[in-house]
Amino acid sequence: MECREIREIISAYVDGEASPEEARRVEEHLGSCAQCRSAEKRMRALGVAVTRTEGSVPPDFRESLFARMEAEDLLPKRRSIFVFSVRWAAVPLAAAAAMALYVLSSREAPREFPSPAVGPPRVAREMPGPGTTSPEAGSPFSAPRELAGSPPAVPGKEERKTKVVADGGKLSPEDREIVANLEILEDPDLFDEPQIDEMEIFVPSFRRQG
Amino acid sequence: MRTDAELMELYRRGSRDAFEELFARHHRRVIHFCYRMTGDQARAEEAAQEVFLRIARAASTYQPTARFTTWMYTIARRTTLNFLRDEKEDGEKVPIHDNGEGRDAAEGLPLPGPEEWDPERIAWGEQLKEKFVEALQNLPEGHRSAFLLNRAEGLSYDEVATVLNITVQAVKSRIFRAREALLTELSGILK
Repeated sequence: MECREIREIISAYVDGEASPEEARRVEEHLGSCAQCRSAEKRMRALGVAVTRTEGSVPPDFRESLFARMEAEDLLPKRRSIFVFSVRWAAVPLAAAAAMALYVLSSREAPREFPSPAVGPPRVAREMPGPGTTSPEAGSPFSAPRELAGSPPAVPGKEERKTKVVADGGKLSPEDREIVANLEILEDPDLFDEPQIDEMEIFVPSFRRQG
Repeated sequence: MRTDAELMELYRRGSRDAFEELFARHHRRVIHFCYRMTGDQARAEEAAQEVFLRIARAASTYQPTARFTTWMYTIARRTTLNFLRDEKEDGEKVPIHDNGEGRDAAEGLPLPGPEEWDPERIAWGEQLKEKFVEALQNLPEGHRSAFLLNRAEGLSYDEVATVLNITVQAVKSRIFRAREALLTELSGILK
């Protein structure tokens, strides 16, 4: 094969792009042709030379490019740490706020007391026992019992009394009185029970006089 | 480590970090490619910025069917072509020789003789670099692109064919002709 014909294949051979058959022919030719061996060496040297021909990267290249990109709205702006903090704190903050609102609203929910002069005995509600649990729907304090799987059954009057007495053993006399009042307050039906003396506390004055 | 295609997808979804990573990986080679294509540092910087702007603008249409670098060099080559054409029309300084005329080759450079073409023995000084860049500019653009994409950027003949939208055989031919022209030109200045 003439040198001129095989030079193009040598070029591909130098680039690792010759087929196995072409590679075999090139190697055979190079073994017997000093001129083509020199040409092959120069071809390889050109490859090295071109990799050494580099431009330089200016120090402000990145800033300059990113400024242009931001001007064209091609680059999302980096958020500040404060924004990230607020964003990640939003969920727990919102949950805490919701819980606080829920607790406050349930505590301050208006009740249908005959006399606004007497408020509910909050002290007793702060110390709940099994017998003092309010049966009214929506009370946050009834939630754990519902979650535990036992439905909030409405106890009968005798049952409630028994529970109060049972728990009363741990309470002072004043506490017992408060707890008893609480039972009455949370079940308006008990207002019609004449045998409960404590009810008189909540009866309006005009009814007591009549 | 994420692939370039994955980073492009993340950038499309609004990730700044993804683009910064792509930039960090490729900006040097883009600048070098633009420099070798234009032969001018200032033009290379300008063209390289334009390449990344075009990549960002075209992100929504990017399809990861080919390698990211193949797509990137397609954009880079077109961008430098536009720069060269604009400069040619404006009569600016970047030399564009289609046939090798108007060159002042031999200027008494202390270049190595033919027997010293061993890559490890070449002292690659600034003068030789300038001459080499000039020789590159004297190549027809199609030959220069094919040679640079393969030898400098490491693309296979197949990938070069994709970037230039020509056959592999045409790539083979262009690279060979580029080599022949470069060897002839640089041989002319060797003492």
